[in-house]
Amino acid sequence: MKLSGGIEIGAPADQVWTLIIDPVSLSSCIPGVSHVRQIDERTFEGSITVSVGPVDGDFDFNSTLVRREFPDLEVRLEGIDSVTKSRLEATVVASLTSSDPSHTGLAYLATISVRGRLAILGEMILRATAGLIIAELTRCLQARLEGSGIGVGKTDGP
Amino acid sequence: MSIEGAFDLIVVGGGTAGCVVAARASEDPALRVLLVEAGPDPRPIPDIVADPKRQSELILKSPYVRMYDVAREDGSTFPLLSGRIMGGGSSINNLAVVRPMRRDFDAWTQFGGPVWSYDALLPLMRAIETDRDFGDSPIHGSAGPLQLHRSFKLDDPADPPVRALIEAALALGLPACPDLNVPEPYGICASPYNVENGRRQSTAVAYLDPARDRPNLTILSDTTAMRLVVNGTRVDGVELARATGPVVVRSASVVLAAGVFHSPQLLMLSGIGPSDELARHRIPVRHHLPGVGTNYQDHAVVYVTFQGTTDLREDYVIPKVRLIAKSDDTMDHPDLHVFMRPSIRMRGLPPMLPVSIHLLEHRSRGNVALQSANPTDLPVVDPALLSHPRDVRALVGGIAVASRLAAHPALAAFYGALLTPGSPDAWEEHVRTSYITYYHGVGTCRIGPAQDPGAVVDSGLRVHGMDNLWVADASVLPVIPHANTNLAAILVGEVAAQAIARA
Ligand SMILES: Cc1cc2nc3c(=O)[nH]c(=O)nc-3n(C[C@H](O)[C@H](O)[C@H](O)COP(=O)(O)OP(=O)(O)OC[C@H]3O[C@@H](n4cnc5c(N)ncnc54)[C@H](O)[C@@H]3O)c2cc1C
Repeated sequence: MKLSGGIEIGAPADQVWTLIIDPVSLSSCIPGVSHVRQIDERTFEGSITVSVGPVDGDFDFNSTLVRREFPDLEVRLEGIDSVTKSRLEATVVASLTSSDPSHTGLAYLATISVRGRLAILGEMILRATAGLIIAELTRCLQARLEGSGIGVGKTDGP
Repeated sequence: MSIEGAFDLIVVGGGTAGCVVAARASEDPALRVLLVEAGPDPRPIPDIVADPKRQSELILKSPYVRMYDVAREDGSTFPLLSGRIMGGGSSINNLAVVRPMRRDFDAWTQFGGPVWSYDALLPLMRAIETDRDFGDSPIHGSAGPLQLHRSFKLDDPADPPVRALIEAALALGLPACPDLNVPEPYGICASPYNVENGRRQSTAVAYLDPARDRPNLTILSDTTAMRLVVNGTRVDGVELARATGPVVVRSASVVLAAGVFHSPQLLMLSGIGPSDELARHRIPVRHHLPGVGTNYQDHAVVYVTFQGTTDLREDYVIPKVRLIAKSDDTMDHPDLHVFMRPSIRMRGLPPMLPVSIHLLEHRSRGNVALQSANPTDLPVVDPALLSHPRDVRALVGGIAVASRLAAHPALAAFYGALLTPGSPDAWEEHVRTSYITYYHGVGTCRIGPAQDPGAVVDSGLRVHGMDNLWVADASVLPVIPHANTNLAAILVGEVAAQAIARA
């Protein structure tokens, strides 16, 4: 499954870059992510909790910065969910572009594969949540980088 | 458990239809019947299977579900599922009891003749069921093995979102449909389920359990049929793989009830099928039957998600109501099931409310092929869902139906904006790249007359060109019904039992 799109941020590319290559700061902008822990310069781990009707599941992941050459970033993520013990692997490629010094575009492409029983429901959940997650991520990045300060570090939704 | 000597009938596959055939055939004490099931036959039935409230767990965690990965046109994959346990699909499915529509019988009649018409099969449909709500009516039964009831009637008090859905549907001109097992159901319908005293009524429970003590019925679970022993136009027996090793069991007749994926696989492994496909796997051709494995049909499903204004916890497995709707108002019959689904919740986000849209037609045809000549390898399935543009359009039409409903003032207290897919421009792409299935595969050993090159079985379900071999499961249905398929598979089992008794 592939998810792609773009985010516009009213801040210079180097500031956006500094934030997105810092896993702890970036993950604080992604709803649902908790227990983020940096393991080394390129690796971090964390957890996402999702509930679907009566089923609550935790997804524990491990993430590696595979490529970090401004303006391109590639992150590989693998994890296992607590309900079906299925394996999810994802590669996210992000790239920054700036048309003027105070505006940055962030284009992303996520390629996700789910193995095991999680595939029965996982894709539906990913698609359902992706739009709101990206919207929240955008709001949070804009709030942090566009200087208003509103929403910095906040992951509680609207 | 003795499998010495010859049987009169071996039923391969103790799934939905196989349990029906074994139970009906063994009513004749003179017939020695063997039922062979690849999966286990756990007794007592574990709670995770029997308790409908544990359905999500059953599907997501239990060892009784088999997955067949298939690809969409864009290369992304999703799984088809089947049950691998006594009762087959009926032991793991979502328990909905839905009859094919009259038009489905009309379609089957084109292939199987008048014995497959609605009127010819109505007595059997009545004999299958004990409908606790409508049993005393000319179209329903009150003394059959399959117990069913609607846990909710349309005018019962209900949670506010369910009431609001009913109100919105009625306001949009959809009729109230208290019984969706009428010949032409349409509208906002109360959903019937095969649940009795909180326990699943699989065919292992409804049909097999009352027959288990018969001395003429032998049941072998955890036993996989590897191939048939074919001798000219006859099958002499079945080669079985048991924990203790391989064994050949002889029988006067054999019924394949291994389901839409495995009945064609077993035929091909035994040399009965398209000669080119058999040659590809160096399987000696016993009988060239080109239709085996072709004609696969299923129901495509898409999920759309609305922003929730509340945390809707409507039951995922047993939704109280379903919409039987038209994807296009100009159609003369409904082609969709639409369900409201429980919320998805994630910290930091408002609740998201999915709605699932199920297309009840399939214009293109897929197929089931062999992965190898090894019986333990799963077959390869190409469901070819949504390869016909009208099927895509119908699901796009379904998104419009769901959006109209969600936007109705009665539902505004629960459903906000459509989040996924957002704007109508994105709907077709969403349909093409995210569809899954209703798990209703049929058609890979379809009924038809001998001169029809795609036909595998005759109208009495006997394999063309073979004297003593039948197929009895959802694979024989030539056209997918506008309904969930478990009841159709039960009906096929009943028809097969009668046909074999007459043979
Ligand atoms: C997740 C899911 C949900 C569903 N929900 C519903 C629903 O709510 N309502 C509804 O009407 N329909 C539903 N269906 C569809 C319905 O259950 C199936 O159409 C029906 O069970 C098909 O019956 P069958 O007899 O054709 O095959 P099956 O029930 O699949 O039986 C085939 C049996 O053969 C066995 N077998 C296979 N190969 C071999 C072999 N080589 N040797 C021995 N045994 C073998 C299998 O283990 C299995 O038990 C659902 C299906 C699934 C998978």
